[in-house]
Amino acid sequence: MTRYLRLIRLFTGATLAAQLEYRANFLGAILASLAESGVALLGIAVLFGQPGTTEVGGWSFHQALLVVGLFTLTEGFISVFIQPNMSKIAEAVRTGSMDFTLLKPIDAQFNISTRNLNVLRVTDLLIGAGLTIYAASHLSVTPGGVLAAALLYVCALVIVYCIWLALSTTAFWFVKTQNASELFNGVFGAARFPVTAFPVPVRAFLTFVVPVAFITTVPAQALTGSLSPGLVVASPLVAAALFTLTRLFWLRAVGSYTSASS
Amino acid sequence: MTSLWRKARVLFITRFAEMTEYRAEVVIWMLSGTLSLVMMLVWMSQAAAAPGGEIRGYNPSEFATYFLSTWAVGQLMVVWVAWELDMEIRQGTLSPKLLRPMDPMWLHYAAHFAERVVRFPALLALVALFAWVAGARFSTDPAAYLAAFGLALLGFSARFLWEYTIGLLAFWTESSTSFQEVVWLVYAALGGMFAPLAFYPEWVQRVAVWTPFPYMLGLPAQLLAGKATLADAGRGALVLLFWLVAFWVLRLTVWRVGLRKYGAVGA
Repeated sequence: MTRYLRLIRLFTGATLAAQLEYRANFLGAILASLAESGVALLGIAVLFGQPGTTEVGGWSFHQALLVVGLFTLTEGFISVFIQPNMSKIAEAVRTGSMDFTLLKPIDAQFNISTRNLNVLRVTDLLIGAGLTIYAASHLSVTPGGVLAAALLYVCALVIVYCIWLALSTTAFWFVKTQNASELFNGVFGAARFPVTAFPVPVRAFLTFVVPVAFITTVPAQALTGSLSPGLVVASPLVAAALFTLTRLFWLRAVGSYTSASS
Repeated sequence: MTSLWRKARVLFITRFAEMTEYRAEVVIWMLSGTLSLVMMLVWMSQAAAAPGGEIRGYNPSEFATYFLSTWAVGQLMVVWVAWELDMEIRQGTLSPKLLRPMDPMWLHYAAHFAERVVRFPALLALVALFAWVAGARFSTDPAAYLAAFGLALLGFSARFLWEYTIGLLAFWTESSTSFQEVVWLVYAALGGMFAPLAFYPEWVQRVAVWTPFPYMLGLPAQLLAGKATLADAGRGALVLLFWLVAFWVLRLTVWRVGLRKYGAVGA
């Protein structure tokens, strides 16, 4: 365990050193982060800007803002921790450099999941955290609610990681996986809004088919104290099930890997 | 003239052959641009829950019509040239293209145009499917479709030129593609992708009418929904033409200045 923690520290140091060489890119990353959170904020601002509108899907403005904050935070998590790693899997399979990863005396899934970071997009994390805290400060929040929300949000991050890993693992059979993650990004865009803001059939799709509801709506509900007990249990169960399944899927993919030349 | 026509034809045919290779991807790209569709679902359920079943005179079916129309028009408006220029300039693959007796811009323009032809049948099928599911009803006036199509063509050309200019910024900076994201946000907001323009605060509307954005996205969508007149379309076309000229001059200036800088790097 300590070995893996030490490795994470080493990986982080190496990737930081490589990225900070391009200092000019910081401005660009900040602009992009601002634009992305701008999209999410404008979406709810126009909705609540209509005369007579006090709630969307039963959520007040600050409650909906909480969802936007968690959405931005999750986008940041994806662009800092997940995407830089997952986008390299397809390339490694195609060029055969996956061989080196598999030969190393550490778990290959751990290695490909933690090797790279995109520190430039840390701004997303900061904006997301800021929005979440700002929104929560306008709501009555209990310590128990914060704890529950934090735990459920960890489950949410596990779910996001598993979906990305599963999509990227298909690279062992298909050459390109970028399109699959693009498609997930499209569906994930719906997480800007509380899931109750959608018509009922779509809500079911966002809960049971692509579990987007568990990523932003459920932790926000825990924070506002409006969470049904069923969902408290469902979220960790979904996360655990997805983690086990993607782990099995990954092992199977590695088992069928025959390098680039054969 | 005939030689120009022949050039254009060859450009189109070669790019079309290239783009048909990507036909499966084209459908995925179409489905991943979901902002209009997400906004449509949220507004529809807002209207259904509102007293009287409508917001500012839009009932759920009218919201479906408007947002499906912006989705369709937005699909005709997709431009990725900034990414390609960014890569070509950084990796130097722009150099061989400079040897040809033609501005490399036309290669990109033809590629985008050919992709639109590949995209169109799939677009019609998807719009028909979504319209049937969401209960959208489009205009029955053929003139409205022609006008919307004309505006979309002008709007696409304007967007192509400004994206091209942003892509050219790669001569100076490494983060040209993030400028593109910021400009996209302005385009989506003022174009009416979040809501019809009349839903915005009045000062935003007053600013928006001077920009090209409402006429390339919101106006064609309103024409398809039967909520705008041909006179509106004419006025919009004039504004777009003005911007088209402005972006053309801007693009040409940035290209000439940038090329001098590019030569200096290579030499």
